[in-house]
Amino acid sequence: MRWSKSWNGPFRPLYLAALSVLGLGAISATEANAATLNFEVAEYSSQTGPLFEKIAKDYEALHPDVKIDISVVPWDNVLQQLTTDLTANTPPDLAIIGTRWLYDFASQGVVEPLDGYFPESFKTSFIPTLMGPSIIDGKLMGLPVGSSARAMLVNMDLLNKVGAKPPQTWDQLYDVAKKVSTIPGAFGFGLQGKQIETDSYFYYILWSYGGDIFTKDGKSGLDSPEAIAAATFYKKLLDSHVTEPEPTDYSREDIFNLFKQGKLGMVFTFPMLVPQLQAEAPNLHYAVLPFPVAKQKATLAVTDSLVIFSASHQKKLAADFTKFMYQEKYRSQFDRNEGLLPVTTAVADEKYYSTEPMKGFVDGLSYAKFIPPVANWEQMADDTTQALQKIYLGQAAPTAALTQAAGQINTILSQK
Amino acid sequence: MSQSQLDIPIAVPAISPRPKLVFQDPRFLLVPGLILTIIIIGYPAGDLLWLSLHSVSRFGRILGANAFGNYRDLFLDPLFVASIWRTLIWTVTVVGGTMAISIPVALILNEEFHGRGIARTVIMLPWSVSLTMTAVVWRWALNGRAGLLNATLMNLGVMQTPIEWLGRAHLAFCVEIVVGILVSIPFTTTILLGGLSSIPRDIYEAGAVDGGRPYRLFLHMTMPLLKPFLNIAIVLNIIYVFNSFPIIWVMTAGGPADETDIMVTYLYKLAFQFGQLGKAAAISIIMLTILLIFTIIYATLLMRGKQSSVAEEV
Repeated sequence: MRWSKSWNGPFRPLYLAALSVLGLGAISATEANAATLNFEVAEYSSQTGPLFEKIAKDYEALHPDVKIDISVVPWDNVLQQLTTDLTANTPPDLAIIGTRWLYDFASQGVVEPLDGYFPESFKTSFIPTLMGPSIIDGKLMGLPVGSSARAMLVNMDLLNKVGAKPPQTWDQLYDVAKKVSTIPGAFGFGLQGKQIETDSYFYYILWSYGGDIFTKDGKSGLDSPEAIAAATFYKKLLDSHVTEPEPTDYSREDIFNLFKQGKLGMVFTFPMLVPQLQAEAPNLHYAVLPFPVAKQKATLAVTDSLVIFSASHQKKLAADFTKFMYQEKYRSQFDRNEGLLPVTTAVADEKYYSTEPMKGFVDGLSYAKFIPPVANWEQMADDTTQALQKIYLGQAAPTAALTQAAGQINTILSQK
Repeated sequence: MSQSQLDIPIAVPAISPRPKLVFQDPRFLLVPGLILTIIIIGYPAGDLLWLSLHSVSRFGRILGANAFGNYRDLFLDPLFVASIWRTLIWTVTVVGGTMAISIPVALILNEEFHGRGIARTVIMLPWSVSLTMTAVVWRWALNGRAGLLNATLMNLGVMQTPIEWLGRAHLAFCVEIVVGILVSIPFTTTILLGGLSSIPRDIYEAGAVDGGRPYRLFLHMTMPLLKPFLNIAIVLNIIYVFNSFPIIWVMTAGGPADETDIMVTYLYKLAFQFGQLGKAAAISIIMLTILLIFTIIYATLLMRGKQSSVAEEV
C-alpha cells in the first residue's frame, strides 16, 4: 500500500517527527487548560514529600482543573535553590522557608503580603506568639508552617548509672557532666561546634545568663559581660573534658547521633529528635527538661514560614490551596511525623502535646525568644560562629573573640 | 628551510594558489564552533563581569553601578586574601602529589604482569564515583567517634586514642589535600598510560643495546616523549583542582572558623548564604583571570620550549 510504502520510505524520520510534535501539542494543550501550582517544600524527613503529595492529590480530586507540582528540596539547599529561582525570575508559587530569611525576602519585595488573601478566622487559628516574626512592617508576610522550641534532653540511663539527678542550674550541669564522663565511652554534655546553628547553641546559655543577641540600643550584645561569662562557661566544660573532644568536628546531626547512640548524658535539641529516637533508639530512656537557669528561664523558638511569591500568577489559587493544607487532619499528621510543635491552636489542644515527651518542648513556647528579624542575619550568624569556633579551638580567649565578633556585627548593622 | 641546505633535488609539489573567496579558506570552518563557544562560555562570563561591577541585591537585582568597589572590598577582606593563599597551596600540593604518584603508577601499569587488567580497573574506580559522594563517605570515615579510619588505625595498634581529623583547620586541610590527590589519580594515570602506550617499544631496545641503564632510559627517553601528556595532565589538573568545590565544602564547609576556605567555597558562601552576588561575581572573575594568565604563561613557555628544541635539531 502506498501508505506503508511511505512509512518505511526515506521520509520516515520526518513523519515520526511530525507525529511527535502533534502529540506533544495535544498533551500540552490539555495541560494548558489546567492551572498549575508550583510548591517548593523543604525536606524535614523522608515523610515530608509523601504527605504533601497526598495533600496535593486530595486537592486535585476536589478541583479537577488544578494541577499541583510538589518539589522537595533538602533544607541545606533551600536558600540556594530559591536564590537561583528568584534571580532567574522563575520562582515557585509557594515555598517553605526559614523564618530567619523572611526579613531579607520581604525587604527585597519578592514575597506577597498575605493580609488580603485570608479571612480573620483563619489568621486567629494560629498560636499568637508564633505569628510575631511573620509580621514585618505591620504586614503579614508569611504563615507559620512549623515550629520548634528547644529543650534539654537527658539520658536517664546514664544519669542513673552514676546516681545523678537532672540539673537545674549550670553549676549542677557541670557536676552531672563530670560524673557521667567517668563512664567509659560516654561524655557528659554534647557541645556543637560545626555548621548550622552553632551560634544558636550559644544563644541558649547567653539568654539564660541574662544577655541578649542585640542590646536595647540595637548594637551587638556579644561583648557584654553576660556573653563573655557564658562563653567562658562552655570553654570550661570543654577544658574539663566533660564534653566530646573537638566540638568543631561535630555538627548538629553529629551530636544528636552521639545522643542516639547513648554516649551523651545531656544535649540541647529540638523536638524533631523525638520521632528519630522512637525509630532508632526505642530503648533509650530520656527526659525532656528546660535549659538550666542562671538569671532567667529562656529558650529559642524557631518557626518556618509558608510564603507566596509576588511573581506568582496564581496567588488566589495558592491561598486557596493553603487554606486546604491547614486543615487540622493534615496539620496534625505533619506535626507528628516530623516531631514539630503545633502552629495552630487546634492541634496544640491535642492530648499528644500535653503529655511527655512533647510537653517538655511545648512548655518552652511561653517564654521562648526568636531570632531577631534583621537584614544580613546570616552574615552576623557566621561572625558569631567563627568567634565561638576560635574559642573552642583555643585560638582566642572568649573576651577577644567575642569583642571582635561584636565589632564585625556592629559594622554590618551600621551599613544599612 | 632545511631543503636548501641539503642541496638535493626533490620534487616539491606546487603550493595551491591563495583562495579567492573568504569561505574557501579552511580557517573559516572554525567560525561556527567559535561562535558556539563564545555564546556558551562568553555570555555567562560577560554577565558575571557585568554583575561584578555593580551592587547586586540578594536576588540578582542590579541596584547601581559600583565600578571596582566589589573588588576593592574583597581585597580588603582578610578572609578573602587568606583564601587566595590557601587556594594556591591547595592547587600546588594536590597537583604535585597527583603527578608524583601517577607517574610511577602509570609506569607500573604499563608493564605486563598477572592481574594488570584488575589493577587498571581498581585504579579507575574512584573516577566512577561522584566527587560529592566520595567526600561524604570520607567525612563519615573520618568521624572521630564512629569513623572507619580511626577504628582501623586503632585496631592495627597504630594509635591509642581516636583523632578528630576534621576538628582543626591544619589537620583537616591536610586530610582534604590527601582526598583531593586520591580522586585525581585515576584521571592523570589514564592520560599518562595513553602517553606511555604511544611510545614505541623498539627505542628501549635500541637504548639498552647502547648500554643505557633503566633510570637513564627513563630520564632521557621516556620523560621527553611523555612531555606533551604530562603538560596536558598538569594544565587540566590545575584547572580542575583550582575550581574544586565538593571536597572542601562537604568535609568542613570551609571551617572551622573559615580556615579551610578556598576561593570557590568562599564564593559560594558569599553568594548563597550572605546574598552578596556582586562580590561573588567579582571572585569568579578573579579566578577566571588567574587561570587565564596561568594558561597563557604555560602555553607560551611550552611554545618557546618547542621552538628551542626544534632549533637544536636543525
